[in-house]
Amino acid sequence: MRRLLAQLVSVWCLAMVVGCSPSTEDNGEKVLYLPMETAGPNSLDPVKGSSQYDSRASSYVYQTLLQYKYLHRPLELEPLLLTEMPEVSEDGKLYRFKLRQDVFFHDDECFPEGKGRRLVSEDFFYSLKRMASKKNQPKSWWLMADTIVGFDEFKAEQNEANEFDYDAPVEGMKILNDHEFEIQLKEPFYRFTYTLAMFQTAVVPREAVEHYGKKFSRHPVGTGPFLLKEWEAGSSMTFVKNPNYWEETYPNDPGLNKDGSEPYLGYLRDKELGFYQDAGKKLPIIDRVELKMFVQKQPMWLKFRIRELDYTAVPAENFSEAYIKRTQKLRKEYADMGIRSEPVPLVDLIYYGFNMEDEDFGGYDDRQKWLRQAISLAIDWEERNEAFYNNLNGIYDGPIPASLAGHPKNGSLPYAYRGPDLARARKLLVKAGYPEGKGVPKLVFFTSRAARLAEMAEMSKRHLAKIGIELDVRLVDFSTLTDALRNRRAPFFGLSWVSDYPDAENFLQLFYGPFKSPSSNNFNYDRPEYNKLYERIRVMSPSSERTELYEQMRDMVIEDAPMIGSMERTRYFLINKRLQNCKPIESFKLAQVPQRQIAEISQEPINRCGPTLSAGSFTTFPSSWRLCCW
Amino acid sequence: MAIVLLVMLLLRVRDPVPGMMGKQATVEDIANKREELGLNRPRYVQYFTLLQQMVTFDFSQELWTQPGMTVGELLRKSVPISLLLTLPALFLTTVISVCIGMISAYARGRLLDKILVFFAVLGMSISFLVYIIFGQYFGSYQLGRLVGQPVFSIHGYEPGLQNWAYYMLLPVLISVIVSMGYNTRFYRAVMVEETTQDYITTAWSKGASTSKIMFVHMLRNAMIPIITRIMITLPLLVTGSILLERFFGIPGMGDALLSAISNNDFPVIEVFSSIFAGLFICSIILTDVLYAVFDPRVRLQ
Repeated sequence: MRRLLAQLVSVWCLAMVVGCSPSTEDNGEKVLYLPMETAGPNSLDPVKGSSQYDSRASSYVYQTLLQYKYLHRPLELEPLLLTEMPEVSEDGKLYRFKLRQDVFFHDDECFPEGKGRRLVSEDFFYSLKRMASKKNQPKSWWLMADTIVGFDEFKAEQNEANEFDYDAPVEGMKILNDHEFEIQLKEPFYRFTYTLAMFQTAVVPREAVEHYGKKFSRHPVGTGPFLLKEWEAGSSMTFVKNPNYWEETYPNDPGLNKDGSEPYLGYLRDKELGFYQDAGKKLPIIDRVELKMFVQKQPMWLKFRIRELDYTAVPAENFSEAYIKRTQKLRKEYADMGIRSEPVPLVDLIYYGFNMEDEDFGGYDDRQKWLRQAISLAIDWEERNEAFYNNLNGIYDGPIPASLAGHPKNGSLPYAYRGPDLARARKLLVKAGYPEGKGVPKLVFFTSRAARLAEMAEMSKRHLAKIGIELDVRLVDFSTLTDALRNRRAPFFGLSWVSDYPDAENFLQLFYGPFKSPSSNNFNYDRPEYNKLYERIRVMSPSSERTELYEQMRDMVIEDAPMIGSMERTRYFLINKRLQNCKPIESFKLAQVPQRQIAEISQEPINRCGPTLSAGSFTTFPSSWRLCCW
Repeated sequence: MAIVLLVMLLLRVRDPVPGMMGKQATVEDIANKREELGLNRPRYVQYFTLLQQMVTFDFSQELWTQPGMTVGELLRKSVPISLLLTLPALFLTTVISVCIGMISAYARGRLLDKILVFFAVLGMSISFLVYIIFGQYFGSYQLGRLVGQPVFSIHGYEPGLQNWAYYMLLPVLISVIVSMGYNTRFYRAVMVEETTQDYITTAWSKGASTSKIMFVHMLRNAMIPIITRIMITLPLLVTGSILLERFFGIPGMGDALLSAISNNDFPVIEVFSSIFAGLFICSIILTDVLYAVFDPRVRLQ
């Protein structure tokens, strides 16, 4: 027994020594350690991706024709794989593109002699055509549907044929030469420009797709600044610097305008934070990115606290640990460590929706409308914000989030039906013929089983009980919820919408009649006047006239009340001192931090325990390292 | 096993495709996906295809949520990682619990016994999740701060036996502590029953030492329930520990299975359930064989 115990102690001691041998700073490489709050992307094939995680991982290896300016706010597009912004004809239907001629695909065995070839016009059309093939199971066809002349017909023909012919012509796609091409749109859709910055339209080489077949999802070959070195599904991804990356440079300092004003919102702050110190420097600045997956938030938070991660989004449950809740200021302990706080408003919409085809709660006559308005007036968004979001979210009237044209001034409108206003709600119920809520059928509410939504549903149940309406909560998994919405079986539901691009049109299309379920209009809202306005705005470029139409449409939605809302989130990021040039963003399914651009890393090493070194390295551990880290 | 598979197939009452394809998918996209996954085929065809795959050990089905990766690849990657966690945990739990069980049985009714039983019951009463959260916070985060450098990993995994202690030791210890309550109570009951047997009195009369009686006479005779308990847990070794793997970011089978269940990834769930059922049958057979090895009164016919 004694011997056994002694052996156990020996094993323990050995384990302690081996387990605690820290490595040096990754052989002098500049390495980023970043978290991803999920089990990871599902696929690195652009046409198969749809989530922001797919987008974020893809952004290391793939590139699109356009991108959002890294530091500019509000966001603005700029050319990435193009030499200049596309030339658009007067009628807004013909787009002419000029590709950069110095862009090469990654070196890979799919190319002759393993050497990546130059990007040509045909690559872009091939990549778009992949979205049309049903064999690829694309999740992104909605971006192209009914947009390019002849593309829908091409899709139908090729999918019916025995073999999908990528070389078959599309009427609206014309190659002028190796680096110039044109696209003819059916209508002057303004959103098309945004589509060109979405990761689903990233350029892939045909050789790689054909060479890797089904494995292409896990073996990406693109033109991006990094190569995928390792992917441990559900655990981590490692990207290494692309040695043949083209001459992309860090944004130049635009300087103040002639009248002394800022060239964009927040320029002076960026300048003060040193965001222009690397202006003109060749990208990427870093050598390697280690992306770590976290399904649970506690380990992510703890790893950030011991500086094993370069930044983190602050979990709601840890908010008061890092911030003074009342003032939302970073606590001194964190500020003293050089940690920087970056609140990032998300351009999104959290709402409750009615199925307008429901017999009891849908419909367009006054009684039905008053009933929905009364329900809207009973919901207390402020309480929800306080209880579940540390009062950090924005609450506003209508479906258009702040920062987009059409958003109401200060977020509120006097004629909106935002609760809690129980007296007004009761009056409307009387008008609707349901005094004190008597006679109102049970309101069946579908919501996802995800974190804290059950508690939120209970809160809404209490809110509605105050006006005598009973909420019957159905907590379902996301698949069942989607199915119920598609089949128009959910009378009342809770959802959110994350914008695809920075234009209110992306939110207003949620109420367009022809997009009724199973498409994106889950409200099944179908008002002819609204539909006509939508058809006008979708072919208009930004202007005061368009904004006026946005406001009219917003007000129609508020008055008919197919939706109760709204709320948009703010994500708080904490960034460790050693990570510079980091300006986070979390909108339009973009990466949380577009790592391609950022990342000058200071000499302060990350606190990384690398147990792969021998126990001997323990003794050479520099003391300054420890001081730095703790 | 066939019945298990049939029930599983019939339990596919929900259509996983709409959730998989996202909010923007068209009716056509969903129909195409159903066709690709073979979900548009009659149930009996799906069932026999599944049976055929299981009988021929064909694990080449692609994961629904991870295109480009097969179930076989997932198993080859995840199961060894899970075993690195579950095997040491089982070994340590069994050795320590049997020892404590014997000590407790030996000191039955005395203060030592009462203290051990108290801790065993306490251990059983606290949720696994509490052990994990506190273990991660104090054992990894706070201990690292105290020592001045990381001692145990908070989250993550790197292959290689030299990394085992850094990534696995803390989860293993938590697993041992959690299981010890149940196991100690069980082994104590087994040992108490043995102490009342006549052969123990005989051994005392012959002047055998306490340690000899406990580790030779008593332990050998208590092997049948010990083996039964260990063998029941054998198939669970492959499933890993769902909670530990998820919280510590260990990409083992438990974590993969949880992801598959929450994402309705049927191929993984089906293959894994079949393997589990097969292992369970094997472990029952092996248990009978081991009975014969340890107890000469049992003979295989």
